[in-house]
Amino acid sequence: MPGRFLPFLATLAFAVLAGAAGPVLAEDRSILLQSTTSTANSGLYEHILPLFEKKTGIKVDVVAVGTGQAIRNAMNGDGDVLLVHAKTAEETFVAEGFGVARHDVMYNDFIVVGPPADPAGIKATANTATALEKIAGAKAPFASRADNSGTHKKEMSLWKAAGIDPTSASGTWYRETGSGMGATLNAAVGMGAYALTDRGTWISFKNKGDHEIMVEGDLELFNQYGIILVSPDKHPKVKAREGQAFIDWILSAEGQRAIASYKLGGQQLFFPNAGSGNS
Amino acid sequence: MLEAAAIPGQPLSDASPVTGELLPARVRGLTLEVGAKRLIDRVDLALTAGSVTLVLGPTGAGKSLLLRLLHGMIEPSEGEIIWGGAPLSEAVRRRQAMVFQRPILLRRSVAANVDFVLKLRGLFSEERRRALLQHVGLAERARQPARLLSGGEQQLLALARALALEPAVLFLDEPTASLDPASVLRIEEIVLAAHQRGTKVVFVTHDLAQAKRLAGDVIFIHRGRVLEHTPAERFFAEPGSPEARNYLAGRLVL
Repeated sequence: MPGRFLPFLATLAFAVLAGAAGPVLAEDRSILLQSTTSTANSGLYEHILPLFEKKTGIKVDVVAVGTGQAIRNAMNGDGDVLLVHAKTAEETFVAEGFGVARHDVMYNDFIVVGPPADPAGIKATANTATALEKIAGAKAPFASRADNSGTHKKEMSLWKAAGIDPTSASGTWYRETGSGMGATLNAAVGMGAYALTDRGTWISFKNKGDHEIMVEGDLELFNQYGIILVSPDKHPKVKAREGQAFIDWILSAEGQRAIASYKLGGQQLFFPNAGSGNS
Repeated sequence: MLEAAAIPGQPLSDASPVTGELLPARVRGLTLEVGAKRLIDRVDLALTAGSVTLVLGPTGAGKSLLLRLLHGMIEPSEGEIIWGGAPLSEAVRRRQAMVFQRPILLRRSVAANVDFVLKLRGLFSEERRRALLQHVGLAERARQPARLLSGGEQQLLALARALALEPAVLFLDEPTASLDPASVLRIEEIVLAAHQRGTKVVFVTHDLAQAKRLAGDVIFIHRGRVLEHTPAERFFAEPGSPEARNYLAGRLVL
């Protein structure tokens, strides 16, 4: 009898203790990251967040919306950390007290894709403004998202730097689709037009047809990301410690390596550049 | 104000260099032909503030020529350079400074070399000269003949003269070639301090390790053409052109 009773007691004791430990271990350690659709769609977060979670036990939930919406959400305190690519807006966010500090994290790049016939003769042009001038000069078809997205804003800033207003040719060679990246690329391939796209979307885009990368690598095509802790002074519910832990990790050598190690179609999409002295 | 200036890295005066007026700069179709040879071939570039720009390429590619064209020392055969919306002019040139591989120093004291430049611009004061010499670590040598300085010290003096002008843009053409490692690092520190204060730095070098230490972005030139202008991390990890790949691999690029 005692021989069978003791193991039972031990099992019971263990079960009780485990039960008592259960709620303590299930303590909620998670943060909310406000970021952009294109970043989330690239697959970067699926790659790097598990590494952070494994190291710290902190889960990162991502809300992926347009850049403007992400910033507004963070201003409202709906989020602990903001990670977007809109430096001026980010700096304003911090200056107005909504964020603690802004740090460079990484950059990715845009490319100009186009038909193999290359009517504007822009293939391998090193300077983007020159390529856009040639497109406008040749009145070669160009498909624009025209949806106020980050990519669209980037496109407009590139035209502006080239001293061109393409909207004056709207409906002729300059076609505004008012849609997302996939739909705009479909339109571009369909009508043999050039288009500006982020590299990640292009790599995973399944309807490339014969379209090729025409312009890439120019400094002006790069897209700097910044990370900011939402201010607990403005929003006391912000999980400042966990949020800062995430920021510290992503800026650390380990986090930067994690970013660099993410590849899509064999290509590195994001280039870590924390501490480059530029912010 | 000038007490703070005695500490390297601190602003040298209240008037910190404003690149906002000169940058972004746009270069279009820049060409230099000498006789039948096209030494700079239809270069298009955008130069923006906030990043240290390195100019790399094999010997004879046109790196020094490009700098001289940007600084208005040579007239191009064709093309234009627009600084912040205005064409290159004497007013623009006065907001720029250049450091060459071999400094040309006056046969006077270290202090007099700095004074000369300050006086030329109506900026002279004892305190300003002292702050500049202190910034480059030559305060103890103020009275010594400049010609007696070591190579590294002469370049530090050249840098002090360039910084005396509080330039919005600082061009450097292989300033540390043939200097000892300690001088190289000292000069790099001072250049980076200028960058932190808002001066746009454009730096030509053959030293790839130096390029990696300094670069925010890289302009790669080959046979007078700009083949790439790309962020530094990308250039060193995945250059776009075969010529750049060969160059980085240490192969002869013809």
